[in-house]
Amino acid sequence: MSRCITICPIGSVEKGILEHISECISFRCNLTCRFFTGMDNPKYAYNEIRCQYDSKLILRHLLRECPHDTLKFIGVTSVDLYVPILQFVFGLAQIEGKCSIVSLRRLYPQFYNQLPDPDLLLKRVEKTVLHELGHTFGIIHCRDRRCVMYSSTRIEDTDFKQPAFCPTCSELFKWHLDKSLQQDP
Amino acid sequence: MGARKKRESMKIVPPGKKKCVWMEAGVVSYKLCDHNYDCSTCVYDHGMQDKVARHKEKLITQPIAAAKDKLTETWVEKMMQLPANRRKCRYMITGEVGRKICPSAYECGTCSFDQMMQERMQAEILPVHARSQESGFELAEDFYYHEGHTWARPEYGGRVRVGLDDFAQKLIGKLGRIELPNVGQVLKQGEVGFQIRRNGEVAQVLSPIDGIVAHVNDKLKDQPDLANESCYETGWLFAVEPTRLRKNLKGLYYREEARNFINEEREKLFNLANDDLQVAADGGSSVEDIFKEIEGENWARFVKTFLRT
Ligand SMILES: [Zn+2]
Ligand SMILES: [Zn+2]
Repeated sequence: MSRCITICPIGSVEKGILEHISECISFRCNLTCRFFTGMDNPKYAYNEIRCQYDSKLILRHLLRECPHDTLKFIGVTSVDLYVPILQFVFGLAQIEGKCSIVSLRRLYPQFYNQLPDPDLLLKRVEKTVLHELGHTFGIIHCRDRRCVMYSSTRIEDTDFKQPAFCPTCSELFKWHLDKSLQQDP
Repeated sequence: MGARKKRESMKIVPPGKKKCVWMEAGVVSYKLCDHNYDCSTCVYDHGMQDKVARHKEKLITQPIAAAKDKLTETWVEKMMQLPANRRKCRYMITGEVGRKICPSAYECGTCSFDQMMQERMQAEILPVHARSQESGFELAEDFYYHEGHTWARPEYGGRVRVGLDDFAQKLIGKLGRIELPNVGQVLKQGEVGFQIRRNGEVAQVLSPIDGIVAHVNDKLKDQPDLANESCYETGWLFAVEPTRLRKNLKGLYYREEARNFINEEREKLFNLANDDLQVAADGGSSVEDIFKEIEGENWARFVKTFLRT
């Protein structure tokens, strides 16, 4: 299997953010990235009662569109996502699968009525992407609040954790990565 | 830890906390009450009483060694040395009443004022000192949690108040009717204690504790949703006279254990609601009304899994 991760913008997404994601993945995981042509705004997943998009429907769509020659497929969107039972999600990922999706909506400081802060935004994006990527490699939530695999319920959790795996999750990541690379495409 | 040390050295009682009667009497220099002034079931009080009794024996055999420890008097003995007008009633120490002097050598068991206060406080709800959010569910600090998502809280006079936790309240959603046990009914920890109705569905709920029902929250008859709005305070369900308190408390989750328990339950809940895809989600608290969100799904399966009935 190639060492390549495919990043797919869903609806309009700032180019700078997509490039930052690519750099972070290359730097933190030693994997290469490429961009998918992009998908339209996911109208099919809009829930009028919640005024949010159903992340599971989008994930299913990603599954159908996923290229065969990629290690992982990450959808990035600016729309607000939810999943049944939870009020919102920062991201959703298949556990030990290929696809995941990340919402930027609640990562912007402006969402919390704060001033724009590009550095803070990019840090949050990095942690959220690494976290979902970790899930697709088969890592589940970590109890260590500083580990990137700690589950964020609030943005404060994301801000508190580091953009890196704790020693245990790091070992797991390497192990899972080696296993996936050995598999045939 | 540092802050606590500092407080101890300065003998400052933090807000919301109260001095232990042993501190008030001056037998020990710093000790806060962690048992709602129910000395009759307090482990610390029992331990101190034993210690004093042992020191008194020692005083006869080895007077010099024992005198050094100074633990030769109980808090009552120490208080009784004070002039009569300075013997504060225990309800004055706790701030429950303004000024009240003990007329009866601290024999609270036979004091009618004590009895009156006990009854009065029985009807009132104690405020929650601190709350925390765990995986989007609220936990009240210092409450004991049962795996069937009820809580138990020992109170004044040794009674134990019982209610639904935030997880159960959200899972069942807007409560239709709560069928509480009757006063005098005998309950057992881990056995069905009462039931809840919602849209024609019935959920049986386990009792967190062994005991005899002493009070029920009558307000829930007209306003069952009090248990939604304020599940740790005004939405309490009933109070019991416990019969195996110490043993029962060991079977309940407390503090760190309670937090871990709720985290695990949240993952389980998410997986059950989304078992069509093997996914992990990261995000906000659960919706306020989970029942509504999963309507049409197998409700019985959720009840069985989380209320354990
Ligand atoms: Zn970790
Ligand atoms: Zn996660």
